[in-house]
Amino acid sequence: MNRESCQRYLEDPEANASHLAECAECRALAESLELKVEDRRPRLSAELPLAPWEGAGHRSWSLVIAGAVVVALIAAFFFMATGSSPLRVLANLPSADVLISTLRHIGSAAQNAPASWQVIVGVLFVVVNAIFVALLRRAPRGIDV
Amino acid sequence: MFKRVLVPAMAVAAMLAVMFVVLPAGAVGNDRAIRSRQSHDRYAFGHDTIISSAVAGSVQAYGGSIDVRDVIDGDLLVFGGNVTFSGRGRVNGNVVYAGGRIVNGEGRIGGQAYPLASIGGAAASMTKTAVVLSLLFVWLVAAVVVTLASGREVRFSSIEIRASALHCFVLGLVALTSFVLTAIMFSYLVPYLIGIPLLAALAVFAILTKIYGMVAVFHAVGTLIAGARTHEQLASRKWLRGDVAMVVVGVLLLGAIRFIPVIGAIAWSAASVFGIGVALATKFGRREPWFLVWRPAEA
Repeated sequence: MNRESCQRYLEDPEANASHLAECAECRALAESLELKVEDRRPRLSAELPLAPWEGAGHRSWSLVIAGAVVVALIAAFFFMATGSSPLRVLANLPSADVLISTLRHIGSAAQNAPASWQVIVGVLFVVVNAIFVALLRRAPRGIDV
Repeated sequence: MFKRVLVPAMAVAAMLAVMFVVLPAGAVGNDRAIRSRQSHDRYAFGHDTIISSAVAGSVQAYGGSIDVRDVIDGDLLVFGGNVTFSGRGRVNGNVVYAGGRIVNGEGRIGGQAYPLASIGGAAASMTKTAVVLSLLFVWLVAAVVVTLASGREVRFSSIEIRASALHCFVLGLVALTSFVLTAIMFSYLVPYLIGIPLLAALAVFAILTKIYGMVAVFHAVGTLIAGARTHEQLASRKWLRGDVAMVVVGVLLLGAIRFIPVIGAIAWSAASVFGIGVALATKFGRREPWFLVWRPAEA
């Protein structure tokens, strides 16, 4: 038993907690007293505002599944009520050939448009894209997450 | 290397592109057939048109209605006007229209009539509800996938919407206008091989921007409405916490608002503008500058 280290432990048990590992008497004393060290660290996190990233990683699969099922069921009900189906709606969409043909038509129309239209489009193209680039140069304002 | 090769190459490519636009007569290849076929085409810009004699090619009208009184052998495209059939009026090809309707067109269209509206707009009213709900389901799945893949980026973009909403909205409007004008400029190149790939690339970029931006808007709306305000609130929640939950709440809320007549369409369109704006303002949540400032190296 080392009296000096035991004395130091008795004066400040928290700072000299490692002493318990080397001194059986002090360990027995501490166990008999059932000392409970109070956590006096300041709880800053509770006082600070909630940060955007706190709890962000949580995945509520139950909410996702519930939401998806409800939306799908209501959509299916409406399809059944109208006697239609999503495939029939998709079949009515223009095919790739029609889209390409339409693009070709629009391309030829652009070249056959009146000169005033073409000048206006050209000027607007330059002006709008200049504003676009100027707006893109601004740095985001949102704080770090 | 960059200054020596890439910059002159880009300058030459840009000059060639401008020449192709300015000098459409330079078009070669398969376009001869198109041009010869299109020589019978008729165009109308900014006024109503009456087709009183047969047209061997196609007819296009921009910003005006068309009264079809005789046969159009090719396609009919009408943007910003109605199509009215009367007399011998008939279109042997397809009819593509937007911002108007077809009057008296039963049995007079050889091909098909395609309204260039949204998928929902193309359907009848009852089916439209089902189609909109189906699209909402697709949005829900896409939003969850995007959030799982890049939750941090979506969260940052969501914060940006709330931190500088006006900037995002203005940027979204300008970006939309820029996309349309760029598409018109690219359409000059459609007779050449490069035109359609350029338009396709622009369309893919615009669609990806809208999808990512809408997910950020869903997150922002969900957080504003159902987000936890305090640590205690967050700790007490089991379902309504986390990025995925906020996105799902946002999808369902905006989806419900979409069914309100007039207001729903305006709200969804505004959300699209916000979305495109925030996607570009934050470079898809990566917070990197779009343009680097070039400075010469110091010895």
